[in-house]
Amino acid sequence: MKKFVSLMLALALALSLCGMASAAEDGKITIWTWDPTFNVAAMKVAKEMYEKDHPDVEIVIEEVLSEDIETRVITAASAGDISNLPDIMLCQDNSIQKFVANYPEVYADITGKYDFTDFAEGKLAYSVVDGKNYGVPFDAGTVVATYRTDYLEEAGYTIADLTDIDWDRFIEIGKDVKAKTGRPMLSGQAGAIDTVLIMMQSCGSSMFNEDGSVNFVNNESCRKVLEYYKTMVQEGVFIEVNTWDEYCGTLSNASVVGTINGCWILGTIMSVEDQSGLWGLTNMPAMPGVEGATNYSNNGGSSWVFTNGTDLDLALDFMQMYRNVDFYNEILPSTSAIGTWAPAKEGSNYTAGNAFYNDEPIFATIVEYTAHVPAVTTGAYYYDAREALGTALTNYINGGDLDSELQTAEDTINFAMGF
Amino acid sequence: MREGAFSKHLTRFFMYAFLIVVSFISVFPLYWAFISSCNSTQQILGGRMIPSTYLIQNLQNLFAQQDVLNAMKNSFATTLLQTVLALAVSSIAGYGFEIYHDKLKDGVMAILMLAMMVPFVAVLVPLFQLFSKMNLLNTWVGFFLPSLATPFLIMYFRNSARTFPKDTIEAARIDGLGEFQIFLRMFVPMMKPTYAAAATITFMNAWNSYLWPKVIIQNSSATTMPMLVANLMGGYVIDYGVVMAGVTICSLPTVIIFFCLQKSFTNAVAGAVK
Amino acid sequence: MTNATPTAKKKRFWTMERKQSAAGWAFLLPATLLICIFSFWPMFQAFLTSFKRGLPTALTYSDPLWRNYQFMLKDKVFIQSVTNTFTYLIIQVPIMLVLAIIFASLLNNRDLKFRGLFRTCIFLPCATGLVAYSMIFRTLFTYDGMINALLLKIGVISEAINWLNDPVYAKAVIIIGLIWRWTGYNMVFYLSAMQGIEYSIYEAARIDGANQVQQLFKITIPLLKPIILVTAIMSTNGTLQLFDESVNLTRGGPANTTITMSHYIYNTMFTKNPNFGYAAAMSFVILIMVAILAAIQMKVGDKR
Repeated sequence: MKKFVSLMLALALALSLCGMASAAEDGKITIWTWDPTFNVAAMKVAKEMYEKDHPDVEIVIEEVLSEDIETRVITAASAGDISNLPDIMLCQDNSIQKFVANYPEVYADITGKYDFTDFAEGKLAYSVVDGKNYGVPFDAGTVVATYRTDYLEEAGYTIADLTDIDWDRFIEIGKDVKAKTGRPMLSGQAGAIDTVLIMMQSCGSSMFNEDGSVNFVNNESCRKVLEYYKTMVQEGVFIEVNTWDEYCGTLSNASVVGTINGCWILGTIMSVEDQSGLWGLTNMPAMPGVEGATNYSNNGGSSWVFTNGTDLDLALDFMQMYRNVDFYNEILPSTSAIGTWAPAKEGSNYTAGNAFYNDEPIFATIVEYTAHVPAVTTGAYYYDAREALGTALTNYINGGDLDSELQTAEDTINFAMGF
Repeated sequence: MREGAFSKHLTRFFMYAFLIVVSFISVFPLYWAFISSCNSTQQILGGRMIPSTYLIQNLQNLFAQQDVLNAMKNSFATTLLQTVLALAVSSIAGYGFEIYHDKLKDGVMAILMLAMMVPFVAVLVPLFQLFSKMNLLNTWVGFFLPSLATPFLIMYFRNSARTFPKDTIEAARIDGLGEFQIFLRMFVPMMKPTYAAAATITFMNAWNSYLWPKVIIQNSSATTMPMLVANLMGGYVIDYGVVMAGVTICSLPTVIIFFCLQKSFTNAVAGAVK
Repeated sequence: MTNATPTAKKKRFWTMERKQSAAGWAFLLPATLLICIFSFWPMFQAFLTSFKRGLPTALTYSDPLWRNYQFMLKDKVFIQSVTNTFTYLIIQVPIMLVLAIIFASLLNNRDLKFRGLFRTCIFLPCATGLVAYSMIFRTLFTYDGMINALLLKIGVISEAINWLNDPVYAKAVIIIGLIWRWTGYNMVFYLSAMQGIEYSIYEAARIDGANQVQQLFKITIPLLKPIILVTAIMSTNGTLQLFDESVNLTRGGPANTTITMSHYIYNTMFTKNPNFGYAAAMSFVILIMVAILAAIQMKVGDKR
C-alpha cells in the first residue's frame, strides 16, 4: 500500500512536469473560439490563408466553450495573472461591454489600429466602449424571418404577403394560418426573451438609456412589444416551449410555420435536408405606431477581442483577413457564417443562389438587411436586465399587471446597480 | 403453513416487480441516450425512442470533431490518480480521527467539515490565484490537488471505522505491531467494502468534475471527457445524435467501475455466512 | 520539557497513551494540511471578499463592512432562492434517504436473484451524464410529454400540466430529478455498511419471528446510524448547494420560482455584471446554514 501510494505520487509528480506552457511567444498567435462547424472552421480558413503568405507565423486555434472563455478570463483577471490568456478570443457581442468594463486590464484598445470602415454600424456598436474599439466584428446576428412556404400556401399566402409588414398584419395572417393549418406561426423559449429583444431592437429601443441607466418603465416601445408578444401567445400565433432543444424540435419537426431569429438559425434549419426547397426568407414585421420602427433587428453574434500585453500588431495584421472578400466567400459554404463587412456580399458565394432556399441569394439579402439594423445600447448590466425583463414577461403573461411588473424589473436593476 | 408460503411468494413477487420498475426508471435516461446516439438530430427532437441506423455516422462525426481518445486518456489518468490518492489520504485521516479520538480531535474534525460547506464558486478565484502562484496551472497535480482530502471522505472513513473492533487493535499492539502497521495490515483489508464504496463514489465525482478542471487546464490537449461533451453543445447548431454518442461514451466508465466494484462492497455477507 | 531530560524521564514521557495520541495526530496531519491550504485559505480570502465591493479586480472594503450582508435582506431574488432551496431540502432529503435504505436492505438480501444487476441499475442515475439526464427529464415533463400522457391515461389528472412553466410543479420536477439521481448514490454507502453487520443477527431475529420491517427498524437502522449520519449531512450540504438541477432542468424559472442559492451566486459572479463581494457574502450565509444543520444532526446522531 505504502509503496503503491508513493509510486503513484512519484508518477503524479513526473506527470506534472510534463505540464504544458501556453504563453504567447514571438511569431505565434493563440486563438480561443468555440464552435467547430462555425467560428473554429472560419478561423481555420483564415489561418490557412494567412500562413500561406506568412510562413514564419504559427497560428494555434484552441476550441474553448464561450462560457469557459468567460470563466477563465474572470479567474485569470481576478487572480492578477493574465499571462495564460490567448492573443485573440471570441466574445459574445452582448458580453463585450460587461467584460471590458469589469476587466479593463485584460482587453486591448485597438482604436486607430484597425480599419473599421464598411463594418455595419449596428454591429460595431457592441464592441465600442466609451468611444474606444475593443473588437473586430465577426458573424452577423441579423434577424431573418423564415417560413415554410408550403404551409403558407395551404393558407393562401406567399412570402411576399409577409414582407415589409407590421405586427398587426402579422397577427392577422397568423390567426388565419393557425385556423387553416393548425400550426402556430412562431415558437420560442418561455422566459428567454430573445423575441422580445428582437422586437425592441427593431424599434431602435434598448433596455438602457444613453447614460447607462435602465429604461423599462418609461419605455413605450418596450411596453408595446410586451403587449404584442402576450397577444401572440394568447392567440396561439406564438407557442412558448420550455427549452432550446424543444425550440429546435418545433422547427425540424415542422410543428410551427416559421421562426424569427438571428440568421445563424439557418444552420439548424438547413441541417434538415429533406425540407430543402420548402422554406422562404424575408424581413421581420415592424412595430406599428412607433417612430423609427424598422423591419430589421439583431440577435446574437460575436466579435474577436484581444488580450493586453500580447503581440497586438501581429494579431491585428492577421485580422486583416476579416477585411477580405475572398475569406468571407471561402467560409460561407462550409460554415454559413455571414460577415458584417459590407463588401463581403460581392463574393460569388454570396450572390449565388442557395439550393435549400429555392436558389434565392439569401446570403446577399442578409448582408443587405444587416446595414439597416438599428444600433442599441447594451452595457455592463445587459444580462441583469435581460433576466429581470424575462421575469416581468413571465408574470405579465400569467396575468400580472404590466406597469407594476416593469416597475419591479427596473427596481431589480437599480438594486444591482446600487451596490 | 400453506398460507404462509403463499404470502411469501406474493411478497417475493411484489419485491421483484418493485425492483424491476425502479430499475427501469433508473436506467431509462441512459438507455435513451444510447438509443439517441443511434438516431439523427431530427429523430431525437421528434421524440423517437427506438434506435435507428445513425450510430456509425454519429460516432464518425464525434471522432472527426473531437479527440475522444485523448480526452479518455486524460480523464482516466486524472481520475485514477485522484481516486487512489484521495482514498489513501482520507482513509488514514478518518482512521486517525476515530481510533485515537479525543475531544480535541473531534473538534478538529468538526472544523474540517466547514471546508465543504461553502459553494465552490466562492473559492474559485482565490484557489486559482494560489495555483497560479504555485505554478500549477495546466498540470495534472493542479487538477486533483484540491480534492485529495475531502471532509466527506474523511467523515465516511471515520464513521465506518466505528465498527472496527477495538480489541483487534489491542491484540495487535500486544503482538508488537506499530500503529501504522495496524492500519495497513488490519484496518485496510477488513474495511474492503468501505474502500470499494468510497472508490466508486470518488471515481464518479472525479470523472464528472468540470468547473475546476476547465479553469486549471487551459490547454486543449488536456481536455477531459465532460469538457468534450460540453464542447459539443456550444455551437449555434447542435447535433444531438453526436452529443448523445458523447454522453453515452462518457457515462460508461463509471458504470463499469461500479459493476466491477460492487461485488467488493456487497460480498462480505456471503463470506460471513460461510 | 526544555529542562534537563534524562533518558529515564524521556521514556516516561513517551507513554503508551502519548505515543498513540501522537500517532493519531500524524494520521490526521496530511489531510488536515491539505484542507487548510486548499480549502481554508481560499475560504478565508473569500470571507474577506464578502466585505468588499467594486470592480472584480479592484475590490475595496465597503462601508459599512457588512454592507453586502445588509443588501441580502433586501434582495427579493435571494430570499426567493433561500425559500426554494429549503423547500427542496425538507421534501427531498428524507424521501431520498428512506428510499435508499429500503433499496439497500432489499438488495442486501442474499436470496435475491440478479442482485448485482439491480444494484447497478439503481446506481446508474448518478453516473448518467447531466446532459442526457436533463434533456430526457425536460422532454418527459413537457406539456405534450410522456408523463402527462401517462397521468391522463390512468386518470390521475384530468388536464395536462405545464410542469416546467408552473412555480409549484417545476419545483416538483426538480425534487423528482434529485431523488432519481441521488438515491442510488446513497444506497452504495448503506450497502457497504451493511456488510459490517453479522448475518447471524438477522437469522436469529428471523427465528424469533421478526419480519422484514421489524428487522429493518430493530437491527439495520440502529447499526447503520453512523453512516446514516454521514449521508444526512452530505445530502443536506449537497441540497443547500444545489446547482445542476436549477440550471439544467428549469433554468431557475419560471420567473425565479425554482432558482437555488448556488445558482443565484453563480449568476451573480458569471452571468450578470459581476459582484464578487456579494457572491462571497451569500456563500458564507450558505456555510452558516449548513453548519447549523450539520451541528444539529451531529448532536442528534453522532454518539459513540
